[in-house]
Amino acid sequence: MENLMFLAPELAVVATGLIVLLIGVFMSPQTKNMLGYLATLGVLAALALTIQSFGTEATMFFGTLSIDALSQFFKLVFLAVSLIVSLASIKYNENSDHTEEFYSLVLFATFGMMVVASANDLILLFCAFELASLATFALAGFEKRNARSLEGAMKYFIIGAISSALMLFGISYVYGATGTTSIPMIAENATLLAENPIGLVAVVLLIAGFGFKMALVPFHMWAPDAYQGSPSVVSSLLAAGSKKMGFVAAFRVFIVALAALQPDWQLAFTILAVVTMTFGNVVAVSQTSVKRMLAYSSLAQAGYIAMAFVVMTPMALTGGIFYTLAHAFMKAGAFIAAGAVVWMITSQKTGNLDIPDHLDSFRGLGKRMPLAALCMTVFVFALAGIPPTAGFMAKLVLFSSTIQAGMTWLAVIAILNSALSLFYYARLVRYMYFLPPEGKKIGMPFPYAAALLLAVAGVLAMGIWPEPFMQWAMDAAQVLI
Amino acid sequence: MIPLTFYLGLAALLFSIGLYGVMTNKNGIRMIMCIELMLNSANLNLVAFSSYTDTLNGQVFAIFSIALAAAEAAVGFAIFMAIYRMHDKINLDELNILRW
Repeated sequence: MENLMFLAPELAVVATGLIVLLIGVFMSPQTKNMLGYLATLGVLAALALTIQSFGTEATMFFGTLSIDALSQFFKLVFLAVSLIVSLASIKYNENSDHTEEFYSLVLFATFGMMVVASANDLILLFCAFELASLATFALAGFEKRNARSLEGAMKYFIIGAISSALMLFGISYVYGATGTTSIPMIAENATLLAENPIGLVAVVLLIAGFGFKMALVPFHMWAPDAYQGSPSVVSSLLAAGSKKMGFVAAFRVFIVALAALQPDWQLAFTILAVVTMTFGNVVAVSQTSVKRMLAYSSLAQAGYIAMAFVVMTPMALTGGIFYTLAHAFMKAGAFIAAGAVVWMITSQKTGNLDIPDHLDSFRGLGKRMPLAALCMTVFVFALAGIPPTAGFMAKLVLFSSTIQAGMTWLAVIAILNSALSLFYYARLVRYMYFLPPEGKKIGMPFPYAAALLLAVAGVLAMGIWPEPFMQWAMDAAQVLI
Repeated sequence: MIPLTFYLGLAALLFSIGLYGVMTNKNGIRMIMCIELMLNSANLNLVAFSSYTDTLNGQVFAIFSIALAAAEAAVGFAIFMAIYRMHDKINLDELNILRW
């Protein structure tokens, strides 16, 4: 019998999900409020177990699951996002009749993402990918009487289902050419794949399949709609968690398994990275809905992270992996802050109720909700890459490694894009602090405040004291090379 | 024995029909049917490869993916049901509140 202790974080998450679902059935809407705290505690326990197991290496279940520095790092990313989301959702689900469904879906999605991070076999990778996708499809359409939520969920579902079909078809070719589904075995037999013409078809299909999840242009169409339409806490999970799942799967499949086809996919990722960051930033400039603007800025950030596939030096991979954690804190926090504003507008019943996350809702937020405004400022400056935040450190490592590798042109494009992004981030800050408020001051609900402060703490800690995080990211990058 | 390329050709054809259907259809139910076609063509590939390479991974994978396709259809129909209750039809062209 293998040591199940290696799986303790996953088991903690899935057990909490099941307990919440089971006991929630017998509770009244008022007592269900405690389920949020229970879920948060479960995630917190899983987070502690993950951090405590840093540095262990093991393979389990006939080599289908591997516990290594890469998987532990990404589990940290997913659990941190899940913690922030579950905390904020306590307020979102207040006195709702569907609290237990919401939390169990969030926890199962987190579980799926964690298994993707440690999957060492394409069968397991695909199943875990689907688990996380199915749970997030349902979450995106959680407000079933809200036309926007449903429309976002529908688009997300159709495109997500197409992407998993593309991925499955690509995987079937990889399996056919190499005769195995295990990632290390595919890497050993990769020459078979490189010689076979269907290897190239498989790479194209896999890039499309993972590209949809990572929301790289031109596979991004669902992302702005799904992020804008979904409840803010769910957008936060989608942008900060589900997108990283695409990245960790792509890291494992392309860099480890399909290393023999590197010239082919590297060219594709070069084009995708440049197009994605430019398109995301240019379109974000003209957005009036803040959640939609954050969605486009999230595309741009995915473009920066995709640079890791282009440069492929150990330092660049470290930067890319570090960036995923930094982005998880910044983006999760920014969507929660937008969620707090949406809550303020809908509970006050004043302002633009049709598009509660409109830029006008942020007028004078510095006076109406000082904490939300301050946190939002930290997040957008971090997204733009201003010191001393996580975004600055991440960009510093990623861009300088790009220059070191001799790809100055790519670094120049990325830096110009960061400068452009500062425009729309600064506009949001201007709305929050330099325009007069359109209403009275509102008390900040505790769950939102706690989630925001947690994310701010993450962003600042990674910016001011990056050494431990950088060391973890470096260990994770070692697994890939 | 039928050559492997025949199976691969059939699967590629089914996959292309599915992809074409998803891109051109406007009705949600038809879209799910086309997505099922794409998933099942991949299953056909997996089983054909499994039989020709004498490994069992492909057949196991096909069983998992059939189960996942059923779960996916369930979630999809649930979303379409909610849309149908609101709009009385599932014409995806008319869902256009969210744009740019």
